[in-house]
Amino acid sequence: MTFDPDLIIQYLPDIVRALGVTILLWIAGSALGIVVGFIIAVARRYGPRWLDLALFAPVELIRGTPFLVQIFLLYYGGPFIGLSLDSVTAGLLGLTIYGAAYYSELWRSGFVAIPKGHVEAAQCVGFNRTQTLRRIILPEMTMLLLPSMVNMTILMLKETAILSIISVPELTLAVSALGTKHYAFVEGFAVLALIYWGLVEACSAMGRFAESRLSKYRFAAS
Amino acid sequence: MSWKLFWLLVEAARLTVLLSIISISIGFVLSSIVCAAVMSTNRAARIGGKLFVSFFRGTPLLVQLLLIYYLLPQIGLNVPSEVAAIVGMSLCTAAYQAEILRGGFSSVPKGLIEAANMCGLSKFATFRRIRLPIAVQLTIPALISEAIMMLKSSSLVSVVGVVELSRMAQDLAASTYRPLELFAAAGLIYLIINLVVAALGLKLEKQMQWGRT
Amino acid sequence: MTGLPAIKVEKLVKRFGKTTVLNGIDLVVERGEVTCLLGPSGSGKSTLLRCVALLEEANEGFIEINGMPLGFASGPNGERVRLPAAETQKVRAHIGMVFQQFNLWPHMTALGNVAEALVTVRGMPRKDAEERAMAQLSKVGLSDRAGHYPSELSGGQQQRVAIARALALDPDIMLFDEPTSSLDPELTGEVLNVMRDLAESGMTMLVVTHEIGFAASVGSKIVFLDQGKLIVEGKPEEVFGKPRHERIDQFLDTYLDRGAATLL
Repeated sequence: MTFDPDLIIQYLPDIVRALGVTILLWIAGSALGIVVGFIIAVARRYGPRWLDLALFAPVELIRGTPFLVQIFLLYYGGPFIGLSLDSVTAGLLGLTIYGAAYYSELWRSGFVAIPKGHVEAAQCVGFNRTQTLRRIILPEMTMLLLPSMVNMTILMLKETAILSIISVPELTLAVSALGTKHYAFVEGFAVLALIYWGLVEACSAMGRFAESRLSKYRFAAS
Repeated sequence: MSWKLFWLLVEAARLTVLLSIISISIGFVLSSIVCAAVMSTNRAARIGGKLFVSFFRGTPLLVQLLLIYYLLPQIGLNVPSEVAAIVGMSLCTAAYQAEILRGGFSSVPKGLIEAANMCGLSKFATFRRIRLPIAVQLTIPALISEAIMMLKSSSLVSVVGVVELSRMAQDLAASTYRPLELFAAAGLIYLIINLVVAALGLKLEKQMQWGRT
Repeated sequence: MTGLPAIKVEKLVKRFGKTTVLNGIDLVVERGEVTCLLGPSGSGKSTLLRCVALLEEANEGFIEINGMPLGFASGPNGERVRLPAAETQKVRAHIGMVFQQFNLWPHMTALGNVAEALVTVRGMPRKDAEERAMAQLSKVGLSDRAGHYPSELSGGQQQRVAIARALALDPDIMLFDEPTSSLDPELTGEVLNVMRDLAESGMTMLVVTHEIGFAASVGSKIVFLDQGKLIVEGKPEEVFGKPRHERIDQFLDTYLDRGAATLL
């Protein structure tokens, strides 16, 4: 059970392929989650009241239950209502739904946080609704929401590990399979943890960089 | 789905709640130590604390649990899987709670500490009487969110063989071929527990509000 | 220690990074005097006050409180020698401070704020401390608000509680850092009245303020700072009366309506 670095080199192509699956699922799931979350947030804030109420329940349902249970429900329960998905599709769909619920709440908090006066000022100089949204609200929100969006996106990366339980061929599944094959569980999971750690740190470093680039938009002290 | 099955889920949910409460409590104690290390003037302690926070926030809890589950016996600790689960959950939530606490302390307005300083309060008295109570009040909403997060994350201990709510649902789903109802029911139980925690949290928050708002 | 000035500031220099905020300040405040520090924003007046409170450490120079060195003593060759913390704390106990943002502790009632240091620093039994705090609160006219939390008080009331909190510790010097600057105009009066009473009772006061009317009527001395230097110093009638220093004229022009400056 000694640790053999050659193993890693030998299986490097497999690990890289699985890492690719993880990153693809992460980026696709996050991007879709951000977009769907935005649509939900806009619908709840600017749409009719019944739409807000209709969306409230599913969002809270997703936020109040474990991702694992949602994935099980989708993957194992889906076929019983005619929704037979392969594990990768189920994983991506699950990630998107999960992310959309959380991202929509972030977007909503952003709408609330923009000072009313800024919107009123835009209307005073003759901006219409779309212009106000595009030119005032969105740029201000980008700055405001960037840290929490980065945090959520990091959470999304960590949630992709859970997809290994429904045997999506991503990083956690690939590395634990190697660990089992060579009876080197601890080494395998340690390497796995290091890879995720590196990805997360890289992601948060990028977030900090973006934040510093955007800092000129920071609210003026009142 | 029969009541008997539902009742089995509720029984398993008791373990979910128990594991969460134990881990959150141990995590809170650990987080105070980690937070003290991160805020200390000692360079080594600061780096150690930051690494701890960064690692446990930077890796999936699932991977942490698997690592700990297999690591403990290798270093001669043959403990039941429930204990491994508690160790993993406690370490993970300690990192999150430490970060929350640190944020709370740094949000205490500087002027309040200067006022204490001018009134002659010692460093320790300022910590005990001014910084600590205000920091705790500021962090309650975030700590409640973390508790809810942990209740949900506790479902992951099913992978190391602890039969809590989500594992019970898996086992029953496999033996009855009714995954739809069982996972929906499990989700519902998680939701109810979290709603209760959130309601208690709001009540606590109200109680900790000083004066009218 | 009669005869010794309450506050003596000598060649004080304070830098933040590369900016010199105080550039060699000399100032003497006699006992029972009310000295008002005026000056445009960024002139260093608040920094000077914070140095006297030792909330900031100066880079050069000395401060004496009632003849005792504060923070640093002068060594045999005029170098600065840091004094032990315990000694410094003893000297600081003579000073009370009132902040622009009140800085009342939000988790304690008005009474709790005033009694806190009496209990934790002086070791008084809580009952006695609260009795004394109550007496102090009635002096600022707030005995009926003793059980209220800061969030339940108006800005003016909060500032009066803050004054009571400082006074409860029996300081013989009171420092005020723009005590009315964050108050609505209609609330400044009640705070200024408390300060006026305090001045009449013979308290030594050093006040950073923009309330020129208060400075002119209550101040026994006006000190005008600009760009970290003390420009003009004197009795209110000398400083505000004509002929006026050019910088004072400019200052009055910006801080008062143009017309109002001519009324002085």
